[in-house]
Amino acid sequence: MAWMNMKQRRFRTSLTTLGVVIGVTAIIGLASLGEGFRVIIRNEMEQGFELNVLTVMSGGLLTGVGSYFTDEDVKNISQMPGVTLATSIIQKSVGKLYNNSKNSTALVLLGVNYTEFVQIYPERLAVEHGIWPQSIKNDTSVIGYNVEHPTEGDIFANSGENVTVSMSFTSPLTGRYFQNYTFNLVGSLSKSGAAGFINFDDTILIPIDTARKLYNTTNSDMIFVQLANPSYSESVAQAISDRFGGEGEVRVLVPAAFAEQVETILSMVQIFLSAIASIALLVAGLGIMNIMTVSVLERTREIGILKAIGAKSRTVLTMFLAEAALIGLLGGVIGVPLGYGLAQAMGQFLFRVSAQVTPRRSIITGTETHPITAVTPILSLQWAVGAILFAVGISVIFGWYPARKAARLNPVEALRYE
Amino acid sequence: MPVILEAREIEKTYRMGKVLVLALKKVTLEVEQGEFVAIFGPSGSGKSTLLHVLGGLDRPEKGEVCIDGINLSTLNDARLAEVRLRKIGFVFQFFNLLPRLTALRNVELPLTLADVSEKESMQKATDMLELVGLKNRVNHKPTELSGGEQQRVAIARALINDPKILLADEPTGNLDTTTGWEIVRLLKRLNEEKGQTFVVVTHDQSVAETADRMIYLKDGVIQSMKENRGSVHP
Repeated sequence: MAWMNMKQRRFRTSLTTLGVVIGVTAIIGLASLGEGFRVIIRNEMEQGFELNVLTVMSGGLLTGVGSYFTDEDVKNISQMPGVTLATSIIQKSVGKLYNNSKNSTALVLLGVNYTEFVQIYPERLAVEHGIWPQSIKNDTSVIGYNVEHPTEGDIFANSGENVTVSMSFTSPLTGRYFQNYTFNLVGSLSKSGAAGFINFDDTILIPIDTARKLYNTTNSDMIFVQLANPSYSESVAQAISDRFGGEGEVRVLVPAAFAEQVETILSMVQIFLSAIASIALLVAGLGIMNIMTVSVLERTREIGILKAIGAKSRTVLTMFLAEAALIGLLGGVIGVPLGYGLAQAMGQFLFRVSAQVTPRRSIITGTETHPITAVTPILSLQWAVGAILFAVGISVIFGWYPARKAARLNPVEALRYE
Repeated sequence: MPVILEAREIEKTYRMGKVLVLALKKVTLEVEQGEFVAIFGPSGSGKSTLLHVLGGLDRPEKGEVCIDGINLSTLNDARLAEVRLRKIGFVFQFFNLLPRLTALRNVELPLTLADVSEKESMQKATDMLELVGLKNRVNHKPTELSGGEQQRVAIARALINDPKILLADEPTGNLDTTTGWEIVRLLKRLNEEKGQTFVVVTHDQSVAETADRMIYLKDGVIQSMKENRGSVHP
């Protein structure tokens, strides 16, 4: 019966339904786009963020003063439960690099244990030219993508060539000064991006023993700690912090915790966006209320007839609510695929930005990581069903008042209504 | 014959602006099964109000109405609607058909409300339309029917649930004389052939005189009751 009434007022019903469609489309569009975006960020974090790698740095005031961690510290950390590898890092600032007439700039010099270092970042590190060092000499070096290409398309040095590095030192007497050292280049890295505080693209890597000799230390500036899996993050971070006398002495960078925060923020954004979209649906609800109030007025006499021949108030109420629910259902069922389609289109257009062109190939696993060119919206069954139920719910709630008005009509007065 | 309808000391007031008007004053009457009763009186005499009260469309301030042994004053609105659905049929002056439904659908309506199956209600409604002489107008909408035809559809609708009593409010009031008499003849035929009990409200004395019994109502008070021979005017 509700369906019949709606068919009779096709144009009006279409407009009312359109309101619901727009609301549901907005909700589903934003929600599925948000969900797709969230999954991409989560994947990016897992792949590109090494959630299982902790960075240990000397904390607070001690930063930069001197190398803090002993080999004993590193050994101890590597034996903590959940830790698969701990490797020492010397981190210094550098300046210009020279290769004959060419020059380039590196921001960071890292003294690393090549064998361990590549194991920490199996997915991230990939060689563009040359090789990853196997037999390591004192002057074996690797440079990052930006160092190798001071300007896009330009090559600073080929593998096998010697490069001169203007290294920065700090002396209590003379302050900061630079001294040149020459290294043999064996390879350069593909675009690797940043992990923690360090952007690998702007680094030059040298053997840690050489770095220690040059900077006159037996300690390390940082420790990279690889965990069996990210769930050990908290316990290991706590154990490390305890070993160095509590918080403040050392700082442990926990990417998993950061990732969790980002995910929380993204969920909040997603819910927030959907809430805004829900306003559209509320407006649609008002439209339903308006149309139904008019409809009840128009059909007063009809309602009177129905009641006179024996329709209960409940029957009349159900009839009108069914009409509202049907509008909501129809709007929801149309709106969900429409919203998903909209999200698809928006995902294609909006996120085709800043895409990395070449895929990265890992040194150890050989797997390729492809850059993101579009967000694939994700529509979960819960969201789809939820949005439809929400649309039906809103319609019924807003239809309630006019429906009750219809149900409560006095049959005699309704029959007299012109 | 058993009493189908019984009204005792009905009082009903009306609010006209600020003034309360007593529309019915201590109205008492009985209708037996198979009777054809006319309630007759000038306009404003309270006869429509009485019919509404008798049919459970309206509630009196005082007094009781019993239909088929059920005291209507003891029922809540939902139960009252149930009684209207199953025990009472209504025919109105302005036909009161649903304009968007076909004659058949209009007649089926009470069956739909009574949860009768689609198939059964269609069969019953078709038979009923045949009984009132509208076999060929089944799929016409009210706007495609003449006044007399519309009233026949309304009568078919009123009869579809086999009511104990059929209440008609000025059934000829909106029809020309010839058509009006056709309707009266139809009602009389249904009364004689099916034993259907009727209470017809009319201001037309000649229509009233066709009834078995004529109740004259004026100013909300029954003035007289008169038995007739019950023949239809030629």
